[in-house]
Formats: sequence, structure tokens, C-alpha cells
Amino acid sequence: MSAAKKPMTTTQAVFATATSFFRVDLIEEINYPISFAMRLLGIVAPLLPFFFISKLVGNSPEVGGDYMTFTVIGLALTALLSTAMNGFGITLQRAFQRGTMETFLVEPVPWTVIPLAMNQWQVMNGLLYTAMLIGTGWILGANYVLAGVPAALLIGVLGVIAGMSIGIVSAAVLLLTLKSTPVIRVYDIAASLLAGSIFSVGQLPGWAQALSAILPHTYVINGIRTALMANPGSYEVSLSGAVTALVIFDVVVFAFGIWLWRRTLEYSRKMGLLSGY
Amino acid sequence: MTNKVNDARIVVDELTKIYEPTPLWMRALVRTNIKEPVHALNGASFTVRSGEIAAVVGPNGAGKTTTFKILAGLTTPTTGTARVMGFDPIKQSVQVRRSIGWMPGDHRSLLMRHSALDNMRFHGRLQGMSGPSMMRRIRETLEMVGLERRARSNGFSLSAGMLARLQLARAMLHEPEVLILDEPTGAVDPVAAHDLIQLIKEIVAETGIAVLISSHRLEEIETLDSRVLLMDEGRVRYDGRLDDLRRLWDKPTFEIDFRSAGVADAAAQSLLNAGFAGVSRKEATISVALQDGVTHSDLLTRLRDQIEDVTNLRETRRPLQAVLAELYRTKASAE
Repeated sequence: MSAAKKPMTTTQAVFATATSFFRVDLIEEINYPISFAMRLLGIVAPLLPFFFISKLVGNSPEVGGDYMTFTVIGLALTALLSTAMNGFGITLQRAFQRGTMETFLVEPVPWTVIPLAMNQWQVMNGLLYTAMLIGTGWILGANYVLAGVPAALLIGVLGVIAGMSIGIVSAAVLLLTLKSTPVIRVYDIAASLLAGSIFSVGQLPGWAQALSAILPHTYVINGIRTALMANPGSYEVSLSGAVTALVIFDVVVFAFGIWLWRRTLEYSRKMGLLSGY
Repeated sequence: MTNKVNDARIVVDELTKIYEPTPLWMRALVRTNIKEPVHALNGASFTVRSGEIAAVVGPNGAGKTTTFKILAGLTTPTTGTARVMGFDPIKQSVQVRRSIGWMPGDHRSLLMRHSALDNMRFHGRLQGMSGPSMMRRIRETLEMVGLERRARSNGFSLSAGMLARLQLARAMLHEPEVLILDEPTGAVDPVAAHDLIQLIKEIVAETGIAVLISSHRLEEIETLDSRVLLMDEGRVRYDGRLDDLRRLWDKPTFEIDFRSAGVADAAAQSLLNAGFAGVSRKEATISVALQDGVTHSDLLTRLRDQIEDVTNLRETRRPLQAVLAELYRTKASAE
């Protein structure tokens, strides 16, 4: 029996899938270095207008008297959540369009792991964008409370899981329609507005604040503001509240996402949709 | 002696597949043309053993690709069973995917922005290979398909023929027991297609792998010199050797040239009077479709009065395509 014939354990299959897709995405990125650099520039450039706006409204109590730090955190986490959420759809649709999806599905690895592995590069990009925004913000004058970094990291991780969970639900729909739905984009924009990425949630009308309270974005952005800002402003989310809300959201939506993904996968298999576009 | 029953690597038994119309709730999300059930397979059955090439031939919509997708676990059968190396492609999907080498016709299934080596490495890792043994096997496989010098070339810089060979190398990398090739020569020129077919024959002779291959090009199937499964409307209409099929269905035509049209006309009349069917004349040439039980000798004996005016004799055979078309028509009308 050749080495290739030894069946992999689930752990080995997950590791092999994750590292293989990571390597493929890394090579593709290296092939287009200018594109990568321009994308990073495109991420940090929008901070500049906020630098000047912060000179005008920087001392408002609504934003804790520090609009620059308030906005940098809001924008950085919106970028992170957006990448975690949309990554699935982007990579899945790209694989269908390029014609590689069928070949991926014929590999002897669990089908649930494939989209997760395909999305990891997008999540890593999101983490890089976030770090770039936080770093650039610091250069432009943002102030962070370093003691809050561990709590911020914890909320960030829970936030990424929340974004990915929503992304899995969206990918399950994409599997049936073979086209990314505009719903996730509308949700992305609405969530960044309702979660107060560049203004305080306290400025929103009551009904919008009620909607805001059910979005994970609200707890990620405002929880991390609580962790990293000396004064997070008028709309303060406690650290324990943010962590609790996110853990509940992650458990429920991630489990639902995986269940839905499996169901749509089986349905697509029956309908013969898996290898067409 | 080989045990024929245990040697079966692909077993398809009374397989049916009905693609149901897209449900109403889904039509809000996606445009669909399927408004009524589509019967892609209607009880297809066949077996492929080790060291055997089974070429699946049939018009578009015959059920070839659906059969292949069921075997690879990409779609489910409605009724009937399929087994690859004894495994169920749905319930034991991972075992099946480890046992098969899959080569779709479209070379876009390769990572086109990556090198041949990277494509092989990616597939090898997902098949559970690693380290020096994987690299050794990649070198062997690329050498087998003649791409060892192009290992570092990326997909976009390879010709269609090279891409097809790379796909074949990828399918063979993990030493599968079964090779499923869905129109592997679809995108390549006739010379490259011929080379690829020869390569497949060599691989089978060397490894004893079971191969299921589909193609629209009948000349390729003839080159394969293999067993043929003629599919139509979701059924296997014929399962056997191409030569046997020819013998059964192709009635050769005998053409005789005479010195003048007048002599040819007399010869034709003589044959018709003697009860020969399928006789026709065009200028100084007569054509006779040889019926069952009629030999060349019978024909020439009847033409003894005109034999000295014969200038040329030849036997012509119908193109294989015409034979198959007649077979499909006859079987369809018989049902």
C-alpha cells in the first residue's frame, strides 16, 4: 500500500485542507504584489478625512472626547467583520466561476471544512487590515488603553466567529443560487451604520437602537471601544455584556450555519447543482 | 485466475436519476429552465473491472456526465445503486473519493495561476500525501505524462494538450484504483488527443487501473480499442466491443466500376432480377449493399456475363457515426 492510500484522520484532513488552501492563496497573492499593496492603501486611506474631522468634533462627550480613536476602532472592526462575513461568498463564487469547485469536492476531505479553509485567507486579510488601521490610527493620534488589549482580542476573536457564522449562512444560500445574494451586502452596510462605526449608537432613534442591540457588530465595536478607550462615550457596552452576547450569538448562529450548510449541500447534491454555474 | 466478481471496480445497477424542477420558493433566488422533471438516467447498468477501459459514448443528454457525477458522489441517484471499489459514493463518499482519479473535460478545474508542481502538491496534500514520498510521486507522475520539464510553468503558459496531460497526472497522483475521465480530450487538437489516448492505454496496461472514459470523438474510441457502452436517453443501449458492433450493424457496400454506363445498367438489372436488394447505379458504377448471407462470390457469380467489362472493385464501409445513428434509431423505434 502506498503512502497515499493511508486514510487521513479527521484532524489530519482538516490540517491538510487548511494548509493547502492557505498555500494556494498565498502563492496567488504573491503573484500580484502591486494589487496587494494597493488594497492596503485603499484600506488606510479613508482614515485621513476622519483625522481632519476629529479636529472639528474631537471633544464631543458622545464619542468620549476622542473622535479619532473612536472612529479608528469603528472602522477597523467594521473592516474585520465585513471580511469575515463576505469572505465565504467571495471565495465560493470565485471557485464556481473558475471551475475549480468540482475538483475541490472530489478530494477526500470533509465538505464542511472546504469553505472554512477557503475563507481563512480572507479572514487573515481582515486581521491585517484591522492591524493596519489601528496602527495608522495610532500614528495619526489615536490613543489606546494598553491594559484593555487582552479583552479587545477576546472580543475580536468572538467577533470574527460571529462574522464567519453569518458568512456560512450566506454561503449556504449561495450554494443554491450559485450567485452571491445582495442581502449580505445590505446587511453589511446596515450593520456598520446601526453598530455606530463612525458615530455613537446613542445618536440613533429608539427603534434603530433596538435593532442595533441584536447585531453582533454593536457588541464587537462598542465592546472593544470600552476595552481600548479611556472613555468610550455615551453608549457604553460593558465587557462582560459584550462577551456574553457574542458567545450566545456565536454558538447559536455558528451551529445554525453549519447545519444549514450541510442541508443545502445535500440538497444541491440531489439537485445536481454542485458542479454547475 | 482472476476472480471476475471480486475484480469489479465500478458496478452500476439499474441507476435512475430524475432532476426535479426547481421549487417555486427557489425561483425567487435563481432563474431556472427546469420546469418539469428531467429523466437523466433510466436504469443504466454496467460493470468495469480492473485493467479494463470502458468508453461511454452517446449524444448530449444521454446520461454520461450524470453517471460520472453519481460515481464521484457529486450527485445522488434517484433509485438503483452505484459502487466504486465496493463503496457507496454517497454513504462512503470519502473512501470513494480516495479511490478515484477524476479528470473533468474542462481544464479550468486546474489552478491556472499556479505551477504544474503547485497543482500537484495541492492535490497530493488533500489526498493525504506529504514530504519526500509525495514529491517523488509528483516527479514520477509528471514524467509519466511528459511534463517534467514544465513542472514550474504556470497553467496559463501551458498548451491545451499539456493542460490535459497535467489533469491526467493529477488524477493519477494518488495511485487511484479507478480513473474517471469526462471527455478528457474535449479541448485539445486531434494529435494531442491521440497522444493522450495512447498514454491512457499505456497507463492501464502498466497499472491495471479501471478506466471509465467518455468522448464525443468516435475515432478516439476506435483508437482506444476498448469496450464500448453506448448510452442514449439514460440507458446503456449496447455494451461490447466496437468491432462486434460493426459486425452486427454495419453492412458493407460493394462497388463495381464497368467500362460503360450501359454495361453497368445491364449488371444492375441482372442483380435485381436475381433478387439482390439494395442495388443502385450511378453512371458506370453500381453499388450493392451486401445483405446477411450474401457473399462476394454470390455477387460475382451473378455478374459472370459482365465480368470482362469490370474495371475496378471495392468494398466501402459506412462511417461509424452512421452505424451508431442507425443503432440509436432502430433501438428507439423498437421500444
